[in-house]
Amino acid sequence: MQSFELIRPESVKDAIGAQSERSAYIGGGTTLVDLMKLGVMQPDHVVDTNRLGLDEIEVLDDGRLKIGARVSNSRLATDARVERDYPVLSQALLSGASTGLRNMATTAGNVMQRTRCPYFRDPAKPCNKREPGTGCSAMDGINRNHAVLGTSEHCIATHPSDMCVAMAAIGATVVVEGRKGTREIPFEDFHLLPGDHPEREHDLRSDELITHVVLDAPLEGAVSTYLKLRDRASYEFALASCAAIVTLEGTKVTAARIALGGVATKPWRAVDAEAALVGEDATAKMFEQVALLAFQRAIPLEHNAFKVELGQQAIARALRDAVQQASQGEHQ
Amino acid sequence: MSETLNTQKPRIDGALKLSGGADYTADINLDGQLYGYPVGSAIASGELEGLELEEALGMPGVVDIFHHDNFDSTLKHSPNSFAEKNTVSEPRLPFEDTTIHYHGQYIALVVADTFEHARAAAQNVKGKYRANDQVTSQLDELDADNVAGLPGVLQEGDGQSRGEADAAYENAEVTLDHHYSIATETHAAMELHASTATWSGDHLTVYESTQGVVFQRHALSHVFSMPPEQINVISHFIGSGFGGKLFMWPHAIMTAVASRRLKRPVKTVVPRQSVFTSAGSRPRSMQRVRLGARADGTLTSIRHDGSNETAFVGMHNDTVISATPSMYACENVAVTNRVGEVNHGMPCPMRAPGEAPGLFALETAMDELAWQLEMDPVELRKKNFAERDPASDLPWSSNHLIECWDNAAKRFGWENRTAEIGAMREGDEIIGYGMASQSWEAMRLQCSARVTFLADGRLQVSCGTQDIGTGTYTIVAQTASELSGVPIEDIDVRLGDSSLPSGPLSGGSFATATVLPAVKAALDAATQALIDKVTQDGQAFSDVDSESIELNDRALTYGDRSIPVTTLLEELGIGQVTAEASAEPGDEKNDYSFRSFGAVFVEVRWDPGISRLKVERIVSTIDIGRAINPMTARNQVEGGLVMGLGMALFEQTEYDKSGYLYNANLADYIVPVHADIPPIDVELLDYPDYHLNAFGARGVGEIGLTGIAAAISNAVYHATGKRIRDLPISIERLLMAN
Amino acid sequence: MTEYFDPKTQGGATSKSRRNFLKTVGASGVAAASTPLWAQTTQARAAETPEGDPVKASAPAPGMSRIQLNVNGVERTVDVAPQMVLLDVLRNELGLTGTKKGCDQGQCGACTVLVNGQAINSCLSLAISHQSDEITTIEGLERDGELHPVQQAFWEHDAFQCGYCTSGQIMSAVAVLNDDRIGQSDAAVREAMSGNICRCGAYKNILAAVQDARKTMKGGV
Repeated sequence: MQSFELIRPESVKDAIGAQSERSAYIGGGTTLVDLMKLGVMQPDHVVDTNRLGLDEIEVLDDGRLKIGARVSNSRLATDARVERDYPVLSQALLSGASTGLRNMATTAGNVMQRTRCPYFRDPAKPCNKREPGTGCSAMDGINRNHAVLGTSEHCIATHPSDMCVAMAAIGATVVVEGRKGTREIPFEDFHLLPGDHPEREHDLRSDELITHVVLDAPLEGAVSTYLKLRDRASYEFALASCAAIVTLEGTKVTAARIALGGVATKPWRAVDAEAALVGEDATAKMFEQVALLAFQRAIPLEHNAFKVELGQQAIARALRDAVQQASQGEHQ
Repeated sequence: MSETLNTQKPRIDGALKLSGGADYTADINLDGQLYGYPVGSAIASGELEGLELEEALGMPGVVDIFHHDNFDSTLKHSPNSFAEKNTVSEPRLPFEDTTIHYHGQYIALVVADTFEHARAAAQNVKGKYRANDQVTSQLDELDADNVAGLPGVLQEGDGQSRGEADAAYENAEVTLDHHYSIATETHAAMELHASTATWSGDHLTVYESTQGVVFQRHALSHVFSMPPEQINVISHFIGSGFGGKLFMWPHAIMTAVASRRLKRPVKTVVPRQSVFTSAGSRPRSMQRVRLGARADGTLTSIRHDGSNETAFVGMHNDTVISATPSMYACENVAVTNRVGEVNHGMPCPMRAPGEAPGLFALETAMDELAWQLEMDPVELRKKNFAERDPASDLPWSSNHLIECWDNAAKRFGWENRTAEIGAMREGDEIIGYGMASQSWEAMRLQCSARVTFLADGRLQVSCGTQDIGTGTYTIVAQTASELSGVPIEDIDVRLGDSSLPSGPLSGGSFATATVLPAVKAALDAATQALIDKVTQDGQAFSDVDSESIELNDRALTYGDRSIPVTTLLEELGIGQVTAEASAEPGDEKNDYSFRSFGAVFVEVRWDPGISRLKVERIVSTIDIGRAINPMTARNQVEGGLVMGLGMALFEQTEYDKSGYLYNANLADYIVPVHADIPPIDVELLDYPDYHLNAFGARGVGEIGLTGIAAAISNAVYHATGKRIRDLPISIERLLMAN
Repeated sequence: MTEYFDPKTQGGATSKSRRNFLKTVGASGVAAASTPLWAQTTQARAAETPEGDPVKASAPAPGMSRIQLNVNGVERTVDVAPQMVLLDVLRNELGLTGTKKGCDQGQCGACTVLVNGQAINSCLSLAISHQSDEITTIEGLERDGELHPVQQAFWEHDAFQCGYCTSGQIMSAVAVLNDDRIGQSDAAVREAMSGNICRCGAYKNILAAVQDARKTMKGGV
C-alpha cells in the first residue's frame, strides 16, 4: 500500500471539493483498503466520508425508503423497516461477506464494490478494467467465477455484490451530489456494462459522491426471496444468486422482479423472464421456462458454462420459494 | 495408570492462547528490528533479466533490497537429508540463479524500517522477464499406465508389491479399472510463515514458525557453513502447519542473510499470496486403480498406479500408494508412483501425505466394487480384512479395524440405509450414505529430553520438539505428572527451541509416540540423580540400597521412610537436579507392523434443484492405541475430518495455462467455514499399543483426514448416482456428470 | 537454576497459565453472582497504565497524525501514518500482539477486534479513522485475572488447537453473544461466525463453547 493523504471533510460539499483525479472516497474500507494493499488502487488522496452524517434510514412520504450512504450493511439488514418491507434486501445483505465485514461495509461502498476477478486484483496481470488496452487475462485464463451475461470481448468480470442484486430487483435510485448539484440515477442505469470500456464501471462523474440510495416503495402484497448458490455455505461470493419478488392474484403472477448475481457483469435484471412470467400460472414448470429465457443471451466460457444451468436453477427455486410463502400466508 | 494419562485435560497453554499471550513468531519484536517483504515473480517460467529497483530504493524507510546480483554467494545447499535432520522444502537457494521456475518465486527482498515502508517499496520492485513460450502448468500425461515413454520418474512401490497382480486381474471374476484425480491443495495454516533473524557475533538466532526447530537448525548450519551450536531456532507457538512448516523455506535464508548484512534483526512475515505460491502445497495427483475380485467379494488383485506433480526446483514423491499394500488381504498387489515436473512452487507433505489422497482412490474403488458385486460396502471390507499386515507379513501390533467398522456403523445408523440410489429423500433433498476405511502408519523415532527437579518443588521438562496445536505441551506435562507425582500445574514444559535436547518434527503423527518415552527416560535419569545424592554418605538414605528407592508423590521413598524432593534439594543446598536422556525404538519393527485404523461414515444431502450438496453428519471410530489426552486427540480427529470435507468438496489450488496461481488467497481458495460443519461424532477406541511404547500411544494427527474424502464421494454416489472420481466434487462436476 | 520461567522469552507452557486455569475453572459460582466480575465495563482496566505509548513529546513526524484510542479501557496515544491499519497499529505500535494477521485482506477473521462493541476486521480498517473509538482486543477480556466466560468456555471445550485464529474467534463470539439480532440456534451461530476461519477445524468445539458461554453469561456482556 502506497502512502496517501487522508482528507476528513465535515460536509458533503467539502467532500466533493476535496475530490480529484487521483482521489478516492472511503467508507468502511473493505474494498478500498484491500485494493490499496494489493496496489490495484493507488490514490494520492483518500477522502473519508465518515464525518458526513449520511447514516439515516427514513421512509419518504411516497413510501420509498431513503438510505444514507454510510448506513452499514449490518444495520441495513436488520433495520425493522427493511426486514418488514424488503426482506429480500435483508436476506441478500446477510448472505454477503461476514459479520465483521458487514459491520464495516457501507451502503454506498457496496454499490461501488469492485470485481473480485483475481486478474483484476493483481497489478502484474493484464486487465482491461484496471489498465485499459492491456487485455483480459480471464478470457483465456481461469474464468470459473466470471460472468456469462453482459460480458464483452474486453471484460468478463462479475459484479460481486449481493445487496445490489436485491436493490436491482426492488428498484431503486442512486442519489449523488456533485459540484453541479444533485442527480438521481435509476439503479439499473448506475452500473455500466463493460463494452469497450470496462474501466468505466458506473455512471458517477469524477466529482460526484453517492449520498443516498432510495428504494422504490414496496410492491403491495409481494412475496420475495434471495437465494445464493456457492461452493461453501457462507463467506463466499455467489456463483449464482437470484432475488425474486412476485405478486400474485390467486395462482396468477401479476408482477415479477427477477435479478441475478454472480453471473453477470452488473447487478442483472432478468427482464425477459419477468415479462414472460406476468400473467402466467405460478407453477414450477413456468418458473423453469422463464429461467431459460434469462440466459438466452448467455456467453459461457471454458470454466463457467455451468453457471447457465446453475443460474436457471437459482431463478426457478427462488420463484418457487417466494410463491410458497404466499401460499403459507407470509406476505412481505 | 492413571489419574493424568488417558484423561481429558484442558491444555496447559490454554490461558496463554486464549488471552493473546502466546508468542507466535510474528509477535516477537526485537530492538532495532527491520522488516523484510518479499517480491515474487510475475511469470511462471523464463529468465529474470533484471530488476527495476531505483524507485523502490528511493522510497521512505527503505534500507536495502536483496536480489540475485547482491546476494550472498557463500551460501551452500543443505544436503536435504531426512536421516541427518537437515531436510529443506525447496532445495534451491533464494536468488541462486536468474531462472524462473514458478509464479511467485522470490526475486527480491525489500528491507525497510517499518512494515508499511517495506510493503510499499516491494510493490514498486518490478522484474524484467523473458518468459518462456512453454509453460508446464499441469501434467495430465502422468495419468496413464506407467509404461515406458511417459514423462516423469517412476517410483516403484518400495518393494511392497507382491504376487502377480496383472495375471490375477486378467483371471478375476469381477474387475474394475478407474482413474481418479485430486487437485493441488494448499495447507493454508492460519498463521503466515514468518522468520525473524538476529546475529550476535557469529551466533544466529532465528525465530521461525516451524514444525521442526532441530531440522531448521541443521539446515541453516549447512547453508551458512556454521556449526549447529552457533545457531538457535525458536518456535514457541506455531499457528499450525499441516506439513507446510516441516522444513525450511527460502524466506528464512533471505531473512538471515539480510540480518547479517545489515547487522540488525530482520523480521519477514510472508504475505498470504506468497504463502500460497512459495511455501508448499499437496501436489496434484492422478491415480489408476484396478481391482480384481471373486464374485463373493474376495479381492484377488490390487493394482494401484499413482502419480503426482512436483516442481522443477525439487523432487517430491507424494507416495499416494503408501497405504495400499497393507489395507486388505489380497495375494496379488502392485503399486507404483510416477512423479513429473511442472512450473509450480515446491510441493511438500500435507497432512496425511500419501494416505489422504491414496485412500480417496482406493476406498472409492472399493465402494465401486461393492456396487458391482451388489454387496454392502462394509461387508466387502470385512470380507477382505487383513488379519496380519499383508505387506510385511508381520502381525499387527494392535488392530481393531473390525470394531471401528462395527461401532461407527452402529453409531451412524448404517442399517437404516436403503441401498438403492436416490431412494432416501426428505423434501427437496436426496440423502446419501457413504463410508470408508481410515489408516495411517504409526511411527516412533529417536528423541532426547531433559527433566529438572527444582528446589521450589516444580518440575521442568524440556524437549526440542514443538506444539503445533496438537497438544504436545499438555501431554508432556500429563506424562511427567503421572510419572513423578508432581501436580500438573507445577510442571513447566519447554518446547520449540533447538538448543533443547533434540526432539522430533511435529508431523507424521509420530511426536507423541516419540517424545513421551524420552520424557520418561529423562525423568528416570533425573530421579536416579536424586537417588545418587540421597544415598551419599551423610544423606537420608545413605544406608539404603538405591535400587529400592522410589519416587512417589514428589518424594523419594524407601519402605515407610520418605524425603520430599524439595527437602532433599534444600538440605543439599542445590537449586536443582537435572538429567538428560534419550529413548529410541527397539527392534519391535521387526516383530510387528504398526498402523492406526478407523472407519468413517458420512451422510450427504443433495438438492438437485439447486445443485447444492452438503455434508449432513460424520461419524468416525478410530483405533489409535491409547489417547494420552482424549480431549485433544478427539479434536485432532475432528480437525482432520473437517479438512477432509474441504478436500472432498472445495479445495483446489488453481494454476492457469500460464502457470499463474490464480487463487492465492483465502477468499478464492475455499476452505470449510463454520456454516459448513455438520455434527461430528468421533469415538476413540482405547486399546493401548504397548508394542510401540510404554504409553500405548500411536499418534493421532493424520488419520482423521484419511478416508473421509472417499466416504463423502461414496455418499454422493449413493445420493446422486454420479460417480465423481475427481476432487474436489465441485458444483460444476455434479452438474455436468451424468 | 531456579529462575522464574518466563514464557514470553523462554517459550513453553507455564505455571501462571495453569494457576489461572484452576482459579477460573474452580470459580463455578461466577455465573450465579449477581454482578459477575466479567460483566464490568472495559473502564475497569483504565487504572492500569500502559508501559508508555510510543509518542514523543514533540509534534508528530511529517506525514503522521496523532490519535487517541481507548484500547481495553486505557487511553492510548499513538502517531500513525494514513496507510497504517488498525491491526498493524495494535500489534506493532501498541504491542498488543494477541490480535493476529492471517491474510491481511479481510478473508479470514483472525484480526477481529471490537470497535465500540462491534466486531470488525482490523486489517481493513485505517487506524487514523478510529480517533476516540473504544477498542477491545483479546487482551482486554480478562477481568482481575479471571478469564472472560467465552475464553473460559473455549478452554473447557478445547475450542482451539494451534490458537492462531482463536483471538478472532473469541472476539467474534463475544460480539455474537451480545447481539440480540443474531439468533441463538446452532445454525445462526455458525452463520454469524463464518467469517472466522479455523484451519485446524476446531469448529465443533468452538460452537459448543459459544453456546456454553451463552448460558454462563445469561445476557451479561
